[in-house]
Amino acid sequence: MAKQIPVPVMAVPADEYDLGGVNPFDLSGRHALVTGATRPLARAVATALAEAGANVSVTTIRDDASEASEANSILDACIALGRSGVALQVDLTDAAAVAAAVASIESEVAPIDILVHAVQEANIKPVLDSSVAEWSNELARNATTLFVATQAVGRRMVERGYGRITTFTSVLHDRGIPNAALFGASQGAVLGYTKSLGLEWGRNGVTVNTITLGFFDAVPGIQSDEEIHAILERYIPLRRLGNPEDVQGAVVYLSSELAAFVDSETFVIDGAIQVHA
Amino acid sequence: MILDKFDLTGKTALVTGAGTGLGRAMALAMADAGADIYGAARRMEPLEETKRLVEAKGRRMEIGSTDVTVTEAVNAMVEDAIGKFGRVDILVNNAGITDRGRGKTFPELDDEDWRVGIDVNLSSAFYCSRAIIDHFLEHGGGNIINLTSGWGMRGGRNNFMYSIAKGGVIQLTKGLAMTYARDNIRCTCIAPGLIPKEIDINLREQRNGFQPVGRVGWPREMGPLAVFLASDASAYMSGETVLLDGGSIAGGLLPAGYAPEFEG
Repeated sequence: MAKQIPVPVMAVPADEYDLGGVNPFDLSGRHALVTGATRPLARAVATALAEAGANVSVTTIRDDASEASEANSILDACIALGRSGVALQVDLTDAAAVAAAVASIESEVAPIDILVHAVQEANIKPVLDSSVAEWSNELARNATTLFVATQAVGRRMVERGYGRITTFTSVLHDRGIPNAALFGASQGAVLGYTKSLGLEWGRNGVTVNTITLGFFDAVPGIQSDEEIHAILERYIPLRRLGNPEDVQGAVVYLSSELAAFVDSETFVIDGAIQVHA
Repeated sequence: MILDKFDLTGKTALVTGAGTGLGRAMALAMADAGADIYGAARRMEPLEETKRLVEAKGRRMEIGSTDVTVTEAVNAMVEDAIGKFGRVDILVNNAGITDRGRGKTFPELDDEDWRVGIDVNLSSAFYCSRAIIDHFLEHGGGNIINLTSGWGMRGGRNNFMYSIAKGGVIQLTKGLAMTYARDNIRCTCIAPGLIPKEIDINLREQRNGFQPVGRVGWPREMGPLAVFLASDASAYMSGETVLLDGGSIAGGLLPAGYAPEFEG
């Protein structure tokens, strides 16, 4: 039987309908951590959070110097917006290293209120040509990194009783295309993990949601192939591939305090391609 | 700047069921974001109160008494809104909810129960969308937000018209999204969970344990989501249904999530 988690005492808002002119999307005073900040998607996420007023810290995915230089450049973009934060080079599959990194980020900057795990990497390859090592790698970089990052940060959020966590999945988490089975499996893992985690921490004020991407420019996937890219431009109902900027609104909304009643949910940002499927 | 993309300044939103509950909350939040509002409902009194609250924010609101289950009334409502504002940019199909047929078993439901249940919760959104679509096409685009429910996804005992109609609203959303994707018209759908209108704390506390997040929702929590979906901040979303339900659908595999009654 499920463990009973006590119902927390909830504050009654001043007005049940009206927000009183407060901008619900203003993240001023919050501290956001973007894990896996090495790609255009993560850059768009980090700068959106900074534009909305949050201080932003970032990490790499791997313990890798070239990733660190990208993470630093993303941090610089946030600092240029007047925010503060740090960039850390860390292997997101190494639980001890990540726990230490999170402790150091919190002591240097502030407690982390918002976590966005901005990792989405895709190995596009036929199953018959794939190795066990490639399978393990696909799950490690997309799913294991998420487990490690959310556990390290979430432990602190649960203790404090507040947190907003956003993960990224692909429409391939429950649809299929040839040559994407390994990637699809990793996305299914992320989705299942996100849904249960939101319920596990929901009563501690920590919400966990996922943004599901369709086919995006500058995000790895089958769309990297020129021919498929051209087909998709005609097939996607909104007639274009997504840009990393297209996730910014959802990231800011899901990271906001007033999104408290959104938990274990999926926000599909896909130009309506899933309506085809 | 991302915060600018949530801005609705210069837009007009037509909100059905704007007098009370979620409709009022969405109207107020969209007014906060800069939009003017046309509010429709059957009863004028609550609409007048919403109008007063919107005007207190410095926005314009016009209101009209409408029965959204009657095509002629819906067409007149859209005409009135366009006549008063010149242009409508956002349609929120919020009116609905009837417990027609409640307490009856399946064989006891009569044709009238079926018709009323489907009309109020599904046909209304169809009529309103159909009435406004030419206006959106003429003006180069528009945005439709439908309201469904978790009951549009899962099954309930002796819950037929409501859940069937709300399932239909999800399909209406997809159909509109697909049909008008190339005309700069987006259509999305919100599935609110348990968000009682009443502020009675005792009543709320009784229900809190049935929600995975440990509490029922407040109407005001609908506002930011409606603004997000109505605005350019969600430009690459269409055809999708977004849940605002405290994790209820995700948590449906256990009896009422973590409801204390079922413990032990």
